[in-house]
Amino acid sequence: MTYKLGIARLDELIGDIKSGTNIMMIGPPISGKDDIANIIAYQGLLDANAAVIVSTREPGNNVLEWFERYNLDVPMDRIGIVDCVTRTLGFGAPDTDNIKMASSPVDLTGIGVKISQFFEHFWMEMHLRETRLCINSLSTILMYSNLQTVFRFLHVFTGRIKAANALGIYVIEEGMHDEKTIVTLKQLFDGMIEIRESEEGYQIRAVGFTPKPTPWFDYEIDGANIVLRS
Amino acid sequence: MIETGLPKLDDYLHGGIPKGKTLVYYAYPGVEGAVFGMQSLCHSISNGINGVYVASSTEPHRIREQLGEFGWDAEGCGDRFAIIDAFSGLIGADSHERYVVADPEDTRSLTQCIKNAMEDMREPGVIVFESLSTIMDLCGESETLDAIEEWNQYAMLYDHAMIYNFTAWPYSDDTLLAIKEDIFDSTISVGGITGNVIFGQYFGVLKTNWTDAVRKFILFKVLKPGGVRAYIPKILVTGPFDAGKSTFVHALSTRAVSVDRLGTTIALDHGHVDHKGFAADIFGTPGQERFDPIIKLLSREAMGVFLILDSTRAEDFARGRQMLEITRSFGLPVVIIANKQDRAGALTPENIRGKLDMPENVLVMPAVAATGEGVFEAFETLIDMVMEVG
Repeated sequence: MTYKLGIARLDELIGDIKSGTNIMMIGPPISGKDDIANIIAYQGLLDANAAVIVSTREPGNNVLEWFERYNLDVPMDRIGIVDCVTRTLGFGAPDTDNIKMASSPVDLTGIGVKISQFFEHFWMEMHLRETRLCINSLSTILMYSNLQTVFRFLHVFTGRIKAANALGIYVIEEGMHDEKTIVTLKQLFDGMIEIRESEEGYQIRAVGFTPKPTPWFDYEIDGANIVLRS
Repeated sequence: MIETGLPKLDDYLHGGIPKGKTLVYYAYPGVEGAVFGMQSLCHSISNGINGVYVASSTEPHRIREQLGEFGWDAEGCGDRFAIIDAFSGLIGADSHERYVVADPEDTRSLTQCIKNAMEDMREPGVIVFESLSTIMDLCGESETLDAIEEWNQYAMLYDHAMIYNFTAWPYSDDTLLAIKEDIFDSTISVGGITGNVIFGQYFGVLKTNWTDAVRKFILFKVLKPGGVRAYIPKILVTGPFDAGKSTFVHALSTRAVSVDRLGTTIALDHGHVDHKGFAADIFGTPGQERFDPIIKLLSREAMGVFLILDSTRAEDFARGRQMLEITRSFGLPVVIIANKQDRAGALTPENIRGKLDMPENVLVMPAVAATGEGVFEAFETLIDMVMEVG
């Protein structure tokens, strides 16, 4: 049981990602991390995985609209979103089959319950054995809760990813947190997708999957595709 | 006594929580623990007891919505219900609650509000904490443990019952041990059956100092509306052809489907029961011998069995007994239903037990599934038997 990111050049270089892997994706603001996270989730859907996306920065409906915007043929029965935003905006939206509402990004207990419910549903009722969890983003959660609290939460859920043979992607904003925070959180992850600013735009690389990091690649995001250049 | 609102748990606690005592719902991460405290609170206020909810990770208006989703009318209880808002201050939002914690990251600020609320309650009531773990995350572990001792002493002074929801994130061993074993009068474990994922949830009494702890664990489901329901994942309904199995399943169920041909079950009946705090999924088997392989399949992992017999057809009783053997039901809790008691020539339950050559302790209960008579009494009896085994 293995996973691919859906980013062609990186996938070639790092090979298959083994199940139970937890990956931190870190990069500067407006570098396209949201799109890249969605592309990785979409690759999962193409590979007959289930995808659970925890959205802390935009309402769950917006996440679904991203897939609609690019006319992607998304199997709705295999996608679950934990929406940590809508209710903080004062909207009393009920849970749907695809979107479960958490009270707020502070409510880590509630977020944890919703993630577990989707995992149980996909495993027990849909008999899906490969699931991707994408938390976008940890930075928002860190705005509301201290490092120790978030570490405890991640300690539990990175363990659950391993138990479920799933793939976990956790997005972090570079520059929002001190070095200690990043170093502390890094302990929980098996690999990283790093993004940096370059003269041309932005570059991406994968770290921790092969003995050496992959080279940096310039990239462009074109709709639901990410194109890497040498 | 302050009832928890969970019937079986109240039985295990000998009626509920004595006034002035404390109870913690000790939930494992990913398990639906928060609803337990909410249900206990709403049960109390709907029974005329004053209740205060300490909101630490949800805005008060959202809490009222959540209560509504479970079908609990807290607002209808007027002044008996109040919220201590320990959340809005955290996100800089305005609050219109009677009690607002100015600094949710300081236990002193929280303590002041809790004391005020306790003093304002003219009679002994119940105070429920939405999330002790959130308070601990914000205020620190040792500070929170100290504060809990103070709150509990104050509650004892006023005869209030204290109920805490706690999620057992990986805090220090000392903190987890203190919460699980030391500082509360009773600890209710709310856990998950885990493998690759959490595929079942249970609760049970870990500790109580006002009665002997009953060391039994009960599976549960959370229903909206409804709240926590003790849950039996599989109850089998079996019996000879035309004994009334499908009718029994439909009479008992909140919703049910049958896979049949011209009114004869050829695969299964499935129904979901939600009755008096208990939920169960029930599976009805076909009765004809040619379906015996299906019966064997359907009976796997059943936790209790109804054997339905047509009380007017003694010639089918041997087949009924054979079906118990096919389903390997011996050893499981079994209730035999003496169905069609309204028909002429129906044998009495005692006669049926004799003809089946069943021991005295096997229950045979009268019923008329077509009218629903006796079906819920039988359900309650079987649930009690399953819970006793559990």
